[in-house]
Amino acid sequence: MYTIHEHTADLGIHVTASSLAALLADAAHGLTAVIAGDAGQIRSLTAETFDVSGSDPAWLLRDWAAEVLAAFDLRRMLFREFDVKVDDTGLRAIARGERYDPARHVLAHEVKAITQHELLVRPIEAGWEAFFIVDI
Amino acid sequence: MRDETGPPSGTPARPYEGPLERVDDCTWRIPKSYRPGMHVDGLIFADERLLPQLRSDRAPEQVANVAFLPGIQRASLAMPDIHWGYGFCIGGVCATDPKAGGVVSPGGVGYDINCGVRLVRTDLALDEVRPQLVPLVNQLLRDVPVGVGQGGPYVFTPAELRRLMAEGVPFLRDRGLATADDVACAEAEGRIADAEPGLVSDRAIARGADQCGTVGAGNHFIEVQVVDRVEDARAAAAFGLRAGQICVLIHSGSRGLGYQVCDDALRTLRDAPAKYGIALPDRQLACAPVESPEGRHYLGAMRAAANYAFCNRQLLMWQVREVFARIFGRSWESLGMTLLYDVAHNMAKLERHDVEGVAKEVCVHRKGATRAFPAGHPDVPARYRAIGQPVIIPGDMGRASWVLLGGPRSLERSWGTTCHGAGRCMSRTAATRAARGRSIRHELELGGVVARCRSREGLAEEQPAAYKDVDVVVDVVHRAGLSTKVARLKPLGVIKG
Repeated sequence: MYTIHEHTADLGIHVTASSLAALLADAAHGLTAVIAGDAGQIRSLTAETFDVSGSDPAWLLRDWAAEVLAAFDLRRMLFREFDVKVDDTGLRAIARGERYDPARHVLAHEVKAITQHELLVRPIEAGWEAFFIVDI
Repeated sequence: MRDETGPPSGTPARPYEGPLERVDDCTWRIPKSYRPGMHVDGLIFADERLLPQLRSDRAPEQVANVAFLPGIQRASLAMPDIHWGYGFCIGGVCATDPKAGGVVSPGGVGYDINCGVRLVRTDLALDEVRPQLVPLVNQLLRDVPVGVGQGGPYVFTPAELRRLMAEGVPFLRDRGLATADDVACAEAEGRIADAEPGLVSDRAIARGADQCGTVGAGNHFIEVQVVDRVEDARAAAAFGLRAGQICVLIHSGSRGLGYQVCDDALRTLRDAPAKYGIALPDRQLACAPVESPEGRHYLGAMRAAANYAFCNRQLLMWQVREVFARIFGRSWESLGMTLLYDVAHNMAKLERHDVEGVAKEVCVHRKGATRAFPAGHPDVPARYRAIGQPVIIPGDMGRASWVLLGGPRSLERSWGTTCHGAGRCMSRTAATRAARGRSIRHELELGGVVARCRSREGLAEEQPAAYKDVDVVVDVVHRAGLSTKVARLKPLGVIKG
């Protein structure tokens, strides 16, 4: 579950989930919502595999989100499904979506970057919690 | 799954409750005793009118955070358009001494390296433009790439981009896309020296390949304006401005290329604070000594991205000129569309300053802050040197923007720096909520402004009420002597992402 969060000039994304893998998937959903608004407009037509290395959960989340952002910026890919697996060395994710089509998709924000200001990933009683700010 | 119920408890959007000591009418101090580890005081330029907003978010805490940076000189500064950013606040300024272990921090520049503005004069008067305003703004929206995911007509190969980043606007002049006058009227003549495009990653190059000459989104825009009133006749004459004159203001930066250069640097610098024994209160302040391999690497790549940004604004101006020529049926030269000035407001530069009576080279970080050198400074273009540097301050799309003049006290008080805009006072989510059930476009029209925006969210998030009153912000920097009022400009038409 994610919440788009107040920040004076940018936007924050707060995420809670039962596992670290689910947290990382929901973080990507939150980022997609900031970029594209309604994820319902994205179809699952193609799949891409992402490998992100790192053992620190906070850096792993930031670097994973940066890869999802780069997929849009470099290849115009928008995703609606994220299947994330995590181990001690990093994550492997399969993301399903489609290429941005100006005739079909309405975009909401240009996300410049995933910042590390106030970056937080931590275990909580019900699983995991994350907070990160994206630069608009 | 998305939760629409609102922010969770314990999130960081909370007001500042620390000390703010009054120094004078326009200056407030956060004493270095506030938090152990601060090397200097924080100093914020603001007046009583801006204080409630100043205390409403985390920005003053960020001013205190910057005071932790090794080698910081005098004070951690913030301009009156201050608001919560990441790492540095927006409006943040600091100078570090490389000879005293001073650091460079990408967080003191931001992701949008050399985000900045340029103001284009015309010979057109309001009564000539008013009847053509709607077709003009519509044509700008059609012809100038603006918005998320919009590439531009200028696509450069990686080899060409590396030359562009090394040579800056002169690269475009040599290809017929800039005049000698355009080069002469940009900060540093559109080329920061010692850029190292070889240090810019392939991913950054790929992100920038088709984006040079595109506006982007967020707070970036192109605005048709009219000079509303002149406050300093001598400076206005020197800048070629007169009441009733039409101008065009362009606000954009280094696009995806610059964002990636900053992102790459922050990854490289993750281990640098530990390596150099630097304790930081915020990861986003990651830094390295200016005179370290990591510091030199960042500065070389940052300068390359800065030159890309100068070229981006140049190509935007070139497209704007073509649109005006088409709408008014005359060449842009005959319309008098000359560049007044182009100035950065996200940059780190090595500059010589007088520090307690000693001339030193310091690394000045300006994040959402504009260089504002006074008359006689050698870095002011020759044609303006006798009067001082033009400073261009975008406000909001409903009220005003300003042209200022580098102030007499800017060097001693703020490393030759002033504000960069009005500064946000409302979050994007709050602005969107406030716009529900309203048509911002219609409201702007009632105020005489034709606004066109590519995205659903753009006009709502960027509505005038989301910003402080730029007249108040400018009044503070004027009274503080950082920069002085020359002319106020009113918006007529705007395109945004």
